Amino acid sequence: MNSVNLAYEFDLSVIGPALPTLLDGLWLTLKVATITIVASAVLGFPLAVARMSKIEVIRWPAQLYIEVFRCTPLLIQLLWVFYALPALLGVDLPGELSIIIALTAHLTAFMSETYRAGMQSVPVEQIEAARMLRLNRVQILRHIIVPQAFRQQIPTILSLNVSMFKDTSLISALGQADLTFQGNILASQTYRPMEIFTLVALIYFSIAFPATLFTSYIERRLITSGSRGAPPPASGLRGTLARMRPGQRPVELSRPALKSLLKPEGV
Amino acid sequence: MTEAKPTLDKTPDADTGTATVTDAVPDDAFLRTRGVSKSFHGRHVLKEADFRIGSGEIAVLIGKSGSGKSTLLRVIAGLEEPDAGDIDLAGQAVVRDGEYQEAWKELQGQIGMIFQSYTLWPHMNVLDNLTIAPRLALGETEAQLLDRAERALTEVGMAHHLRSRCTQLSGGERQRVAIARALMMRPRLLLCDEITSALDPPVAAEVLGVLTKLKEEEGIACGIVTHDMAFASKAADRICFFEDGLIKEDVPPEHAFNDPQTPGLQAFIDAVRF
Ligand SMILES: Nc1ncnc2c1ncn2[C@@H]1O[C@H](COP(=O)(O)OP(=O)(O)O)[C@@H](O)[C@H]1O
Ligand SMILES: [Mg+2]
Repeated sequence: MNSVNLAYEFDLSVIGPALPTLLDGLWLTLKVATITIVASAVLGFPLAVARMSKIEVIRWPAQLYIEVFRCTPLLIQLLWVFYALPALLGVDLPGELSIIIALTAHLTAFMSETYRAGMQSVPVEQIEAARMLRLNRVQILRHIIVPQAFRQQIPTILSLNVSMFKDTSLISALGQADLTFQGNILASQTYRPMEIFTLVALIYFSIAFPATLFTSYIERRLITSGSRGAPPPASGLRGTLARMRPGQRPVELSRPALKSLLKPEGV
Repeated sequence: MTEAKPTLDKTPDADTGTATVTDAVPDDAFLRTRGVSKSFHGRHVLKEADFRIGSGEIAVLIGKSGSGKSTLLRVIAGLEEPDAGDIDLAGQAVVRDGEYQEAWKELQGQIGMIFQSYTLWPHMNVLDNLTIAPRLALGETEAQLLDRAERALTEVGMAHHLRSRCTQLSGGERQRVAIARALMMRPRLLLCDEITSALDPPVAAEVLGVLTKLKEEEGIACGIVTHDMAFASKAADRICFFEDGLIKEDVPPEHAFNDPQTPGLQAFIDAVRF
């Protein structure tokens, strides 16, 4: 860092020396994002099932949890877990652990709602047909509902994860040496915020952009298979009415794609 | 013949309480309901339904929408619990006073149901749709099932679609595969709720033709809700006319169409006469 060139003119030479530090930060960013994404992908499922439970003492806490994490700022959630939770529990949480807990708690709420939307989009007649064929509840969930729900929600899940990757930059506010944190330090050390922050942005972009391209690709594929899957249209009013009936549409018709276009966070 | 309304004070063995001609009804009916009723949110949707279907018999349920036809089929299928009444299947008591009996667990597997909307699971191909339930629920092996799936598809004229994706099938093909899927569980009673309502008439006729064949060749009892009066008059052994949650008439088709006994059926026949 001592070798940083402090020359006055617009200067790309700060980039080379800054890179190792920034990649150090990126390592933490990727680690935190990956753990959070994997943990939330798993934890979101039982939460979604609880949220759909017929039993109120199971459903209400799940709903409360989801709403709390959807309706408060992520930064406040991070600060709360970082400062308040250790005080509340009387234990010292390592900083890295506490931010992973907070981010996971946050993303889990959104993932569970995504799962729920997917599961509830499976037409009820498909489930009744499965019941008539003697599949039990677990088999129906495992073989009928989850595969369709997951497939339908892949674009939303991917864009939630891209958002989470970017939102990890908030942990720099808690002194965690992630990519943003390191960028901030370097910017003040070098007096080159322009160069450094552009570089930081490019690093985020180089990871998030391919991921969103992939998301769009999946969306297009789902739309195509949806339109090919649609039953041949019957003509006239009868056909129109028939197509409006629930359960007549193929599950993977453009709905998820449309939804994630309108609201990338899948809220 | 009287115009008796179904009432509770009939003895169970008395003839059904509907305005009934029962000559077409075999006494050893495969399915028999007595006084089955069902309310939703305090609304009495099905009132004292006395209904039966013999093996190898097609009973066609007609009536305006909202008259309770689907509710009766769904109660028989076990998708809705009856509030009251008795149900017998294959001569055994499966429901008494609205309560499921031991025999239900074993006998419910003999009932298959096909729905109005397409219920093939779109993420599986035709073969998997057919084999997953017998594999998971009955523990049969893949090898046995392939052979049976081919035969079931042949029954419905879809043998060449064994490995097709469900999303590539037309509406009529989907319903025929749905029938084949139900056949994989070896049902003795097949309940069909407006399964051809979304189909063009010639396609609908094909699908319903499959049911006639199953009744004749396999002796399967069929309870069919349809608005297809051509089918009802040709293929039905009995017509059950629903009005306001009651079965008002339960008669052979020639009686229903030529000699309706209740004003409700008279009006219905006049309205749909083709
Ligand atoms: N699950 C349900 N919850 C509330 N009302 C229902 C339910 N199922 C059916 N109904 C009502 O019961 C009445 C009879 O319905 P249904 O049996 O579907 O008639 P049909 O099949 O003859 O058209 C309708 O008014 C319908 O709205
Ligand atoms: Mg109906």
